[in-house]
Amino acid sequence: MLLFSGVGKSCLLLQFTDKRFQPVHDLTIGVEFGARMITIDGKQIKLQIWDTAGQEAFRSITRSYYRGAAGALLVYDITRRDTFNHLTTWLEDARQHSNSNMVIMLIGNKSDLESRREVKKEEGEAFAREHGLVFMETSAKTAANVEEAFINTAKEIYEKIQEGVFDINNEANGIKIGPQHGGAGSGGGAPGAGGAPPGGCC
Amino acid sequence: MDFLKSGLKTVLGAPETGQQPSVAETVERLVERASNSTLLEDRRDACRALKAMSRKYRLEVGAQGLDTLRQILELDRADNETVNYALDTLNNIVSPSQFEEEEDKPHIPMNIGDQFTEMFIKDPHNIQLVLDLLDEYDFRVRLSAVQLLVSVLTNRTKDIQEIILDKPMGVSKMMDLLADTREVIRNETLLLLIKLTKGNANIQKIVAFENAFDRLFEIVSSEGYSDGGIIVEDCLLLMLNLLKNNSSNINFFKEGSYIQKMLPMFNIPENSEEVGWSSQKVVNVHCMLQLVRTLVSPSNSIQIISSCQKIMKNVGLLDALCNILMASGVPADILTETINTVGEVVRGDATNQEFIGNVIAPSYPPRPAIIVLLMSMVNEKQPFALRCAVLYCFQCYLYHNEISQSNLVQTLLPSSSDVSSLTSGQILCGGLFSSDVLSNWFSAVALKHALIDNLTQKEQALRVLLATNIGSTPVSLLHQCTLLLQQTTKLQSKVALLMLLSTWTAGCPPAVAAFLGAPGGVPLLVHHAGSNEHDDNECLLQGLSAFLLAICIHFNDDSVASYSRDGLRQLLVKRIGVETFVAKLSDVSRHELYNKAAKHPQMRAASPADLLLDYEFCKLFKSLEGPLIESVCQTPGRSSPEPQLEQYKSLIRQQDARLQELVQQLETVTAHAQQLQSALNDSQAANSLLRDENTLLKAQVGSSGTDGTHEHEERIRQLTEEVRRMKEELEGARRSQERSREELDKMRRDQNDLLELLDDQDVKLNEYKMRLINLGQAVDEDNVVEPEDNLSSVNNKIVDGKDYIVTPPL
Repeated sequence: MLLFSGVGKSCLLLQFTDKRFQPVHDLTIGVEFGARMITIDGKQIKLQIWDTAGQEAFRSITRSYYRGAAGALLVYDITRRDTFNHLTTWLEDARQHSNSNMVIMLIGNKSDLESRREVKKEEGEAFAREHGLVFMETSAKTAANVEEAFINTAKEIYEKIQEGVFDINNEANGIKIGPQHGGAGSGGGAPGAGGAPPGGCC
Repeated sequence: MDFLKSGLKTVLGAPETGQQPSVAETVERLVERASNSTLLEDRRDACRALKAMSRKYRLEVGAQGLDTLRQILELDRADNETVNYALDTLNNIVSPSQFEEEEDKPHIPMNIGDQFTEMFIKDPHNIQLVLDLLDEYDFRVRLSAVQLLVSVLTNRTKDIQEIILDKPMGVSKMMDLLADTREVIRNETLLLLIKLTKGNANIQKIVAFENAFDRLFEIVSSEGYSDGGIIVEDCLLLMLNLLKNNSSNINFFKEGSYIQKMLPMFNIPENSEEVGWSSQKVVNVHCMLQLVRTLVSPSNSIQIISSCQKIMKNVGLLDALCNILMASGVPADILTETINTVGEVVRGDATNQEFIGNVIAPSYPPRPAIIVLLMSMVNEKQPFALRCAVLYCFQCYLYHNEISQSNLVQTLLPSSSDVSSLTSGQILCGGLFSSDVLSNWFSAVALKHALIDNLTQKEQALRVLLATNIGSTPVSLLHQCTLLLQQTTKLQSKVALLMLLSTWTAGCPPAVAAFLGAPGGVPLLVHHAGSNEHDDNECLLQGLSAFLLAICIHFNDDSVASYSRDGLRQLLVKRIGVETFVAKLSDVSRHELYNKAAKHPQMRAASPADLLLDYEFCKLFKSLEGPLIESVCQTPGRSSPEPQLEQYKSLIRQQDARLQELVQQLETVTAHAQQLQSALNDSQAANSLLRDENTLLKAQVGSSGTDGTHEHEERIRQLTEEVRRMKEELEGARRSQERSREELDKMRRDQNDLLELLDDQDVKLNEYKMRLINLGQAVDEDNVVEPEDNLSSVNNKIVDGKDYIVTPPL
């Protein structure tokens, strides 16, 4: 996953993999790995997720993860306008370094903090429409839409595999056929962005 | 040298006869040619010559040619041969090793390669140039570029890592080379990646992300697993780099089902005994074991360790490891490392601990593997490292597992001993009292681990009795240990026994009492703790004795009269002194071996002499040091602790009684308060009920009768007013009536007076008339009346003119 510092990527991932919320989280240094099994179409799929640091200092490291990712979650913080404004930069970066078929989902996180909202839902939707992304608002705290965000991304990837867009025999796509479950795959997914000052929790 | 000269001649042309150009001049001309010649061939030749010279004269070539060579990498990229010469030359210049040709040149600084590396990477763009050359498919160029990167990485690991991380796709490019079908390049790339990933978590993660594990396992499997050559070793070393202290990658490794893929590495063929183990195979298997240990290392987080342990058990890896343990013909160092590995795979995981507890060795008679291992531990003919490994494995087997701890102690208790078979307890007791010092140490530490944090077993172990000589009365294990402590002259045995006794007595007053009851124990401790020798290891012995003594004070329940808590404290204060005592304790934690042992659960003793302290003991020491010092120092008035104590005791008793009283009072008051509270609650409820009713009624009254009442009230007021007015009128009427009556009475009286007067007048009148008549005067009737007028005027005067008094005509 690639994203802004403090927008809550790590908390999203933790909520997805461990089903828990941790309000105070260390700043992600570089990249952290997480994984979870899900079932799509009756097939077991292991999602391998790389949670990337959002800070600018780690940007060159983050870039190494675009290639070889099948999907990415691009996360901003609905209570911080600046994180939304940076999306374009991140998107360009991702498109430039990634496989053109990479599925990108736009996530507006912290939807539980309605009172502090700075970015309207409509704005997120408009941005997603304009750039051909799937959009969703989530809350890592209440777990709202977290499952959906990851699973929908996985479904999109799965559909692309079915359509033959992804060549599953080419590992550079970030998809591998699991040995024990026929047709299982693993999608490396990661959205990223950074630049915001450190500190703050998700 | 001749060859070199002739080579130079062809490049530079024949030198002027009689004048041999100096090396510096030659290099200068070559560098100039390489940078300025317009013909590619000339530049290429110059580079070739520079390369030839660069091994012997790297100082000169490097000093003058570095920039030019860099420039060639950029400008002559199209010509593979030239670029290749330039890369090789650079590689020679920065090479971290000394060349044979240089051996006779003592003036060349040892770190010359390092210095040139620093110059080369001053501009990070130079590294980019080399990275770009990795894209070149030409074999020589690609290989030389990889080798150059290996050299600079060796010299300046950290700097180069940062530069490469900063280059987009830098790491990914190197990973692509692993897929190169030319083995030489693939193998060099492995070396490059090993250097690149050393100690840099970010690079490690990117390499893992780029499917390193898949590719490495492919290579390992294609090379024949443990029977493969040095390439297998390189692959394993790279994996070790990726996983060591990198929890994210360990997670990835675990989630990516790579643990299963390790399994074939541990397959030991049936005929391995005849075939034997090649030295490369030993190294490969050793690396694999390291790989397993990296995943379950006690320094990882608990979650990672426990999930890896479960997977290892489930996929049969633990099984495979146990097979190696039991196989014959396994080299000793592999066996040793396997024992260590098995230890860490079971450490703290009850299922796995139970599993190895049940493994049966294929010996005759069949014995549990644990027994066989312990037998090796107390066998002085076994290699030292192997014995250490067995101890570590046994510790891991007991670690945080009350069942295995209790099983061990059970084997020592009289009731359960099965005479026919050898038990682990018997082996350890045998080791404890054997003449081999190391066996003493190993056995004491092993026993100690059955008692750690387990009060039940500490108490159970007190029941253990030993029959030392046939016919003599059995002695308890604790007494025997105390006795041994007095008898032995070996430092290692003493230290081991002190650790055992400290662990045993810590937190367990019955064990303290048993120790204090053993003859000679306390005097020995006091003797050691008070001794003043300054040898390093003596200090340790003194410190440990002081430690045990302090435990006996701290956990003393005063059940041994001769060594009560205060008695012992006084003894310590008098014989040793508090300050000396504190100093002795801190000597222990300052000891070199203490710090070494406290670092890792596995002891890393290089030689038998280094075996003194163990990890768990250091933990115990660290946790108790503070409380013990406090406990020993807590009574400042040392000279007369008894009376003071009595005083305090009576004070406490008084306070206790007072407390009791107050508690009772409090209870009564509380009960009362409760009653009041409930009464108040009732009242409040009733009150509010009434208030409600009242409000209700008021509302009713207000709605139905307000107007009528007012009317009535108004009417009543009016009537009252009227009544009052009537009364007043009545009063007035009465008064005027009274007055009238009085007036009337007066009038009547006046009238009567007047009537009388009138009669008199009449009489007089008649008299006068008579007289007149008599006198002869005719008296007219009218004349007669005349005097009447006079009379009326008189009347008027009397009655004051009242009109109703009318003089009647006569």
